Amino acid sequence: MTIAIVLVIAAALALVFILGVTLSRSLQISAPASLASQIRPMDVQAFRNLVDPAEDEYLRRRLSAHEFRVVRRKRLRAMAAYVRIAGNNAAVLVRMGQAALPAADAPTAEAARRLIDNALLLRRNAAFALLRIYFALAWPNSGLAAAPVLHSYEQLDSSAMLLGRLRNPAAPVRISAS
Amino acid sequence: MLQAHSFLWHYLWIGPNVLSLALAWSIRRRGVHKQYPVFFAYLIFASLEGFVLYGLDLFPAVSPTSWWYAFWAGTIAEGLFKFAVVAALLHHLLHSWPAIARLGRNLVSGAGVVLVLLAAAAAAFATPDNVPPVVGGVHVLSQTLYLTEAGVILAIFLLAAVFQIPWDRATFGIALGFGLVWSEHLAVWALVTGGVVRNRAWEDLANMATYHACVLIWFYYLLVPGRVVAKSAVPLPENNLDVWNRELERLVHQ
Repeated sequence: MTIAIVLVIAAALALVFILGVTLSRSLQISAPASLASQIRPMDVQAFRNLVDPAEDEYLRRRLSAHEFRVVRRKRLRAMAAYVRIAGNNAAVLVRMGQAALPAADAPTAEAARRLIDNALLLRRNAAFALLRIYFALAWPNSGLAAAPVLHSYEQLDSSAMLLGRLRNPAAPVRISAS
Repeated sequence: MLQAHSFLWHYLWIGPNVLSLALAWSIRRRGVHKQYPVFFAYLIFASLEGFVLYGLDLFPAVSPTSWWYAFWAGTIAEGLFKFAVVAALLHHLLHSWPAIARLGRNLVSGAGVVLVLLAAAAAAFATPDNVPPVVGGVHVLSQTLYLTEAGVILAIFLLAAVFQIPWDRATFGIALGFGLVWSEHLAVWALVTGGVVRNRAWEDLANMATYHACVLIWFYYLLVPGRVVAKSAVPLPENNLDVWNRELERLVHQ
């Protein structure tokens, strides 16, 4: 009896989720405009500094253990915010790439395909990086490698710019801020 | 109206199977069956299975026990077909995106393993009832299959949503139909297996009506062309590409 109720609730939640995905998909199709405006430019240099292991090592040497943990947690939270923005930007770029996929000219379609693949790679790396950041928040003295996210983001930026150049040579797309 | 062997009951048993065959014929005419051969085969199999079970149900010489054995066999064969369709859907979703393909396959396979274990545990705790073992067995088997199938299709939807993997229209439509019908079937079979409801005609009607809706969803996504979005250039704001290219070059080579 209890299992039956649990399964019915699980099935109802699954139904609601699937219908929600369907609804949001149809809304996305009907409102594809202004995608570029949803991109939040990201300061790559600041992010690079945050993930630099040398900086962590420097702070570890200069600060007491307690102070280091406090500072490290603040840096990790900032890093997580960057990674979330990068992940959201990647999601927007997937949709921009999707909109460009049926393009008649092969270079644009190919650039769109590459953009989507790079954006998906970034989504994957962002998910892993967030897991590691949350782990490091619990144990601030552990090491952390967010470099793959940074590398993917740079690749993604190049792909987005290439697609932007192909689709609209007069206006660029920007996912990084200076 | 909501009784077994009412007009609605006959229609809901036969109608979706006729529509499935019509859909199979239509997608073959359009050449879509080459992209979705497993789904195409499933449509034909499921329709024929539906007709055979319907015929056996009406034929007086067939005993109820024989009918349930036939239902057993059909459920197992159809279950295998459905897993093959799910594998094909996952392939369609991921094969264009190597960045996420391997992770996606591993996540969905992992979810499948967990779901099989959960389904086995749920089957072990199923409430015994007074029906013949073959009937009770079919109830448990259906709950087990639909728990695994609904869970796997949900895992695919979650994967696509979390990583924003783009669906193509036909793959999405097929997955949507299965997602709806398997979730509903899971709920009904869980209620039956758990002893919450027994021998009420509405269980059959609910299952058949949902499958009917599922076939109509497939019709819509496979045969009606998607809305064509105007392909104007994406309005890309401010700044100069060259400046950003230089900046990124500097970052990469730092």
